[in-house]
Amino acid sequence: MNPPPPEAVNPFVLEAGAWAQPWRLWTCHLVHFGPWHALLNLAALAAPFAVLPRALRPRLVLGLALAAPLLSLALLPLIGDGTYRGASGLACTAWAAAGLALLRDRRPEALALLGLLGAKLAWEAFRGAPWMPGGEGWTALPAAHGIGALAGLGWGLVLAARGGPRR
Amino acid sequence: MHLARFKFLACAALAAFTILGCTHPRTTTHRTGVMDYLYPKREAAPLPMPGGARLQLPLRLGIAFVPSPRNSWQPGLPASSERPLLEIVRGAFKDKSWVGEIKLIPSTYLTPGGGFDNLQQAARMYGVDVMALVSVDQIQYTDPKWYSFAYLTIVGMYTLPGEKNDTRTLIDVAVFDVPTRTFLLRAPGQSNVKGSSTPIHAQEQLRIDSGKGLDLAMRELTVNLAKEVEAFKAEIASGARKDVDVVDRQGQSLRATGGRSFGGAFGIAEAAAGLALAALALRRRRR
Repeated sequence: MNPPPPEAVNPFVLEAGAWAQPWRLWTCHLVHFGPWHALLNLAALAAPFAVLPRALRPRLVLGLALAAPLLSLALLPLIGDGTYRGASGLACTAWAAAGLALLRDRRPEALALLGLLGAKLAWEAFRGAPWMPGGEGWTALPAAHGIGALAGLGWGLVLAARGGPRR
Repeated sequence: MHLARFKFLACAALAAFTILGCTHPRTTTHRTGVMDYLYPKREAAPLPMPGGARLQLPLRLGIAFVPSPRNSWQPGLPASSERPLLEIVRGAFKDKSWVGEIKLIPSTYLTPGGGFDNLQQAARMYGVDVMALVSVDQIQYTDPKWYSFAYLTIVGMYTLPGEKNDTRTLIDVAVFDVPTRTFLLRAPGQSNVKGSSTPIHAQEQLRIDSGKGLDLAMRELTVNLAKEVEAFKAEIASGARKDVDVVDRQGQSLRATGGRSFGGAFGIAEAAAGLALAALALRRRRR
């Protein structure tokens, strides 16, 4: 089996030279360290889409597309000469945005989404990254989740203000 | 009368021979080898320390040209051109957060064939742990062009660029952890400079081409070096290099943490909670 390519050779991860290769600002959220990493992040990303009314889903996709480069730019100073990959930051954006958008309708799912997200951020702040299989060989960056959640709250306010079909 | 004629013919033949001598293909070589410097006696090549290298960040790095072999007829690299070239290598490391200080060490401080003992002395003197040794292999070919017979007119020697010059340079950087004598990585850089000159200015042009070739090769080397360093870090993080570990400023092993590869992650419990929530929402919607 061939060894994994060095980070610098991977053209999709986020690294210090991302200014010269702007696609990395988006693609770093799509690449992962392994199947478990990708699967768990995908599951986390799918939850708010399942909870959100169908009419709001395209707006959430738009929000994630806008939040992705902002999140990457915010992470650049934190990673120094290292690299970053993974969709969990965007998943936190989706959880926060969907939670806030549903809060307008006083839906119980809104409280569940925001509560779980808050618990995750609090856990990471005090206890570090959560356990996941295949997590060796790289370091979790909880700041990505905090910044992602902030971006999501911003987009959630936009969603709530512009409204949508109440269900 | 005959004697005067003979003298004239002899002088003319000598002049023609001297001038035509310029038209012969010539080769100039400049070569320094890491192996000749570090392992001057092949049978006594020391083994690296069995424990392997443990590099503490930020690295204290020394950069030096390998000295020319002792009693070599080959000319060494001029001391004045060493520093600008080493500055190019220093530029490649300057902005790296894992490098603390970089010292440029003149090759005159290294003894030809001095081996690791000499390298250790220089490293201790400059207070560095890791040494990047730069070796040069440069060959300059000079071939006459078809119209070089015009040198016989003497004027042609000053005006006709009948000397075809070809300068091929290969520069190699090998990085060693000095205390443990462990080889860390290497990177090459090469260049090929072509040109022509009059025979009168041939040596001057060759010197210019030599400097240009070294400069171009050094610039290619810095690009390759950056790639090799990244590959080296990835190898350590993945555990492929069993003989080397890097310890960061917080005292954490790069091998244990995977270096500075960051990822955002949801744990199993969080992802399961999210999926459960999604399932409940879907079930509620179907009712």
